[in-house]
Amino acid sequence: MNFQAPTMKISDLACNTGEWLRGTGPESDIVISSRIRLARNVARFPFLSRANLKQKKEVEAVVRDRIRESDIAPDLCYINLSEISSIDRLFLVERHLISREHAVGESERGVAFGKTEAISLMVNEEDHLRIQVIHSGFELREAWKTIDEVDNKLEKKLSYAYNSRFGYLTACPTNVGTGMRASVMLHLPALGMTHHIEKVFNAVMKLGLVVRGLYGEGTQVSGDLYQISNQFTLGKSELEIIEIIESVIPRITTYERMARKAIVAESREQLEDRVWRSYGMLKVARLISSEEIMHLLSQVRMGVNLGIINDIEMKTLNELFILTLPGHLQKLEGRELDSTQRNVIRADYVRKRLGK
Amino acid sequence: MKCESCNKKHATVHLTEIVGNTKKEKHLCEECAQSVNTHLKKIPSPTEILTSLINQVAPEINEMSKITCPVCGLSYLEFRSNGRLGCPMDYTIFRKGLIPLLEKMHSGTQHVGKVPSRAGKELIKKNELMQLRNELNKAVEKEDYEKAAELRDKIYELSGANDENQ
Ligand SMILES: [Zn+2]
Ligand SMILES: [Zn+2]
Repeated sequence: MNFQAPTMKISDLACNTGEWLRGTGPESDIVISSRIRLARNVARFPFLSRANLKQKKEVEAVVRDRIRESDIAPDLCYINLSEISSIDRLFLVERHLISREHAVGESERGVAFGKTEAISLMVNEEDHLRIQVIHSGFELREAWKTIDEVDNKLEKKLSYAYNSRFGYLTACPTNVGTGMRASVMLHLPALGMTHHIEKVFNAVMKLGLVVRGLYGEGTQVSGDLYQISNQFTLGKSELEIIEIIESVIPRITTYERMARKAIVAESREQLEDRVWRSYGMLKVARLISSEEIMHLLSQVRMGVNLGIINDIEMKTLNELFILTLPGHLQKLEGRELDSTQRNVIRADYVRKRLGK
Repeated sequence: MKCESCNKKHATVHLTEIVGNTKKEKHLCEECAQSVNTHLKKIPSPTEILTSLINQVAPEINEMSKITCPVCGLSYLEFRSNGRLGCPMDYTIFRKGLIPLLEKMHSGTQHVGKVPSRAGKELIKKNELMQLRNELNKAVEKEDYEKAAELRDKIYELSGANDENQ
């Protein structure tokens, strides 16, 4: 089986998004997506920080070829990241197909993903291989099933670095054991507005979970989007870790719904005003910054969930969070843009998408 | 809403920062946000957290500081300063220094998750080989050379047909 031609693909991607943003699946009013990542290394090579260029190239070739032979998805394409522009790499980061670290890495590295973008395989990120599966809505268990199968297929071809005491061996000891990071992306505007979000963080941290912004480690929270994921990877099985996250998410979504109800009960007019103003702004503004759009989209998204606004699809809103990011706008325009130019084009794009 | 920093312009940037377990909101104009952005980035990275953790646990393990991995050449001190291991063997070489660290980071130090079926197969193969070698020894002791030759071929066959990709 061969990979699809990648150059055509990247520009094809710019006007739509991966399936995980379609806004379907359990609890999808609050849970945007469920993601699982597995870190794996090939036994006979050093980790990347101690590998020379020749070894890095070899790892890249071996892992890439095994992915190709493994029949993971029928339409998998492979992109060598050192052969594409920095805008293209930014674009792939914004789509969650590669990590920010992978985008700026130096050595031979690449990514394989399929048409639906549900599966992606990063080669030579921090570890030799990072497998990722994203599903729309609250579907961690299904995501696990998918990634477990992908991992089994690859394991037949690749001899993973593994020992019975420490499990899957990774470049950083924070990932050793299962090598698994499971995370759920949540939209929590009402808990933010009512300042109850800290309580959620406290409860979540006591369970050994961490809260992060939209693009993972060290990123700021914007658009009231939060990622909750497991901190530890060793000492519990994959399903035990998933169960911990699964047990806490319904409590958070219930809490968010209660906060929304309370806001509606106490200050319906103010809330409706806020939502409609944000919607209006998106429809008429001529300059919108990337931070402002996150805020506006978040308000409108909550408005749609509460039935205040009825003429816009959840899928469209979810997609706009991604399609209006700097890399996407530049890809859409086909050229480099400074931040003012981006603000103009962002506003234009949103008006077009929301216009009748 | 007015910008919290200059109090003049309209606040268009709404930042949320998580410090420890509290959330702070900042409402700023675009200009002020630009200048504040650099300082917001100072949230410690996971690597920084890890190295500080390593340094908390590590001092008492003085003997570790002399150890270097013969496979990848990484010294324990280098690992302490950048938080990254050099090769799979390091988990064995630096085991003593790693265990207290793993105890702090994880919910245990024994892997209880997925086992690659290859590792399972290898374990079975190892046990089978061990058994065949025992039988071979017995056969030699009994001077049953016909049986010994048969066993020797089996051992060759089993130990030679491995690592199809290597
Ligand atoms: Zn200002
Ligand atoms: Zn080593």
